[in-house]
Amino acid sequence: MTHELPRMHAGGTYSIAVDDVGVRYSLRFNRKTTVRESFARVVTRTPADEFWALRDVSFKLLQGESLAVIGPNGAGKSTLLQVLAGIIRPSEGAVDVRGHVSGLLTLGAGFDNELSGRENILLGGAFLGLDDGVIEGLLPSIVEFADLGEFIDVPLKTYSSGMRARLGFAIATSIDPDILLLDEVLAAGDATFREKSKARVVQLVEGAKAVVLVTHDMNWVTEYCNRALLIEKGRVVIEGEPDEVVRVHREHTQEARARKENEARAAGVDPRIAGAR
Amino acid sequence: MLPFAAMSATTEAPVASRNAAGTPAAVALLGQGIDEIRSRRRLVRYLVHAEMKKRGSDTLLGNVWWVLDPLLQMAVYVVLVTIIARGLAPDYPLFVFAAILPWKWFSSVVNDATTCVVSRDRLIRQIAFPKIVLPVATATAGVVGFAWGLIPLGLIMLLFIERLTPLVLWIPVIAVVQYVFTLAVAVLVSAANVFFRDLGNITRHGLRLWWYLSPGLYSLDALTQVSIFREHPVLLTVVGMNPFAVLFESYRSVIYGTSDGGLPTSPNLFALVVLLVVSLGLLAASIVVFKRLEANFAKVL
Repeated sequence: MTHELPRMHAGGTYSIAVDDVGVRYSLRFNRKTTVRESFARVVTRTPADEFWALRDVSFKLLQGESLAVIGPNGAGKSTLLQVLAGIIRPSEGAVDVRGHVSGLLTLGAGFDNELSGRENILLGGAFLGLDDGVIEGLLPSIVEFADLGEFIDVPLKTYSSGMRARLGFAIATSIDPDILLLDEVLAAGDATFREKSKARVVQLVEGAKAVVLVTHDMNWVTEYCNRALLIEKGRVVIEGEPDEVVRVHREHTQEARARKENEARAAGVDPRIAGAR
Repeated sequence: MLPFAAMSATTEAPVASRNAAGTPAAVALLGQGIDEIRSRRRLVRYLVHAEMKKRGSDTLLGNVWWVLDPLLQMAVYVVLVTIIARGLAPDYPLFVFAAILPWKWFSSVVNDATTCVVSRDRLIRQIAFPKIVLPVATATAGVVGFAWGLIPLGLIMLLFIERLTPLVLWIPVIAVVQYVFTLAVAVLVSAANVFFRDLGNITRHGLRLWWYLSPGLYSLDALTQVSIFREHPVLLTVVGMNPFAVLFESYRSVIYGTSDGGLPTSPNLFALVVLLVVSLGLLAASIVVFKRLEANFAKVL
C-alpha cells in the first residue's frame, strides 16, 4: 500500500520535496543561557544575532533514489537531516516527506544507559512511535542483527561505542522505513559490522526506499548513491551526478586548503603547525 | 484506485508536511499535547521504568532508600523542632510525617524535571518524538516513590495506632489533586530549563523556602499565635492560598487529625476541589507553553 502512495499524487513520484527551505538560528533565544544573561540582554538591548544554518535549499528525491549529502564540517548537512526527520521545523520554506521516516540519525547513542540492550530496543521502539506488538515482533531479528551475544541483557553503560553503534543501527534499520536518514553511520563499528551495515543499507535502497545520508566517505558516495548534494555554508553549491559533485567538492576542499596555507604563510607560520596539512 | 484508498494509505504512511507556518492556536496546542501523552503511554511507562532502575542501582541500599529517606528526614525535623519550638503538637512524628511524604514527592519531581528534557539532549537532536512525555514520566515516577513512602507511613502509624482510621483511604484522592499540580509544575520547569540552565539553582532554593512557608512543620492554626499574622489577618488568607497549605492540611486531617490534637476528620473538600480546578488550568497553560517552546528544543540543546 505504501509503495503505491506516491502514484496517487499528480505531478510526480517523489518521496521528499524540499522547497526553498531555510533554518535560522536566533542566537538571542536559541541558546543555552542563564537567567542573569538574558536579563542583561533585555536590559542592554543587545541586538539579536542570527545566522542561517540552511538557506534556499530545494531538491526533490524520487522513490528508489539514494542521495548523499556532502560538504565541509558545519555546512548544515546534519541540520538538513534534522529538518527531513521533523526534528527541527524550518524557519522558511516547505518540506514534504511522503512515507515513514526512520527516526535515528546518529546511531552511536542508544537510549538509556541503565537499561539492558533488549530493554533499549523496546524503549527505542516506543521513542520511534511504533505500535504495541510491532517492536516485540521485530525484537528477535534486531537482536540477531546487532549480534551482541550475552551483552544484549546487560545494561547499556557497559557497552563499547562500537557495540552501541551496532545496536543503534539494528534498531534504526529494523523498521523498514520508506525513507532512511543516516548521519555518518557507515563509520561505525568494526570492519565486519561495516560490511554488514553496508549490505543492509544497499538492501534498503534496493527495496525502493529513498535514502538520504550524510557522509565523508566519497567512495560510498560514488559507489552506492545515484545522486549527491554539496552544501557549503548552508547553501546548495551543486546537485546532481555523484561523480561530478564529488569532483567539485574535492576542488573546493583543495582551494580551501591552499587558501589556508597561503594565509598561514602570510602570517609567517609553518603550515604544518597551523594544521593546514 | 479510489480517492479514499489514498486516505487509508496515508494513515499507514503519513505524508508529513513541515512548513514554516506560524504557531498554531493555544487550544490546538493543548489538544495536541494531550493527544501525544495519551498515544505515547507505553513510552511513558518505559521511561518510568528506566527512572526507577536508575534510582535503584548504583546505591548501597537500593530501593530501601525510598523507605529510609523520609524516616531520616522526619527524625531531623523532630529533633530540630523539639529543641527550638515549644508547645509541640501531640504525636509530632506523625504530624510532620504526613507533610514530609507529599513534599518529598513534589520537591524530587520538580528537581528531576529541571533536567529531564536537557539530559535527553542527544535523543532530542536525533529523533522526532513528543518531548512532553519526558516531564510526564518524571512526575509519574514520583508517584511510585510516594507509594513506597506509604510503607514507612504505615510503620509510624503502628506507633500511633489510635489515630489509624478508614479516613486514610482519602490519601489516594488527595494524591490525585497533588499529581495534577505536580505535573503542571514539572511540565513548565522542564521546558524553561532548556533555555535557562541555571533554573535548577533557583528551584532548589525556591523549594526550600516554599517548604518552610507551607504548614508542614506547623499547622495553619498555629500561625494565629504569631503576632504578625494577628495584626494582619490578610496574610493568613495569603498563606492559605498556597497549594501546599491545602494539600498538607488535607493529608494531615486524614492521617493525623485536627491541629489541636483531635482524631482524623474528612479533608476540606471545597478547598481540594478548588485546588484541583486551579491545577487543571495551570496544567493546560503549562502544556501550551511547553508545546510552544518545544519546536526550539532541538536547536538550543
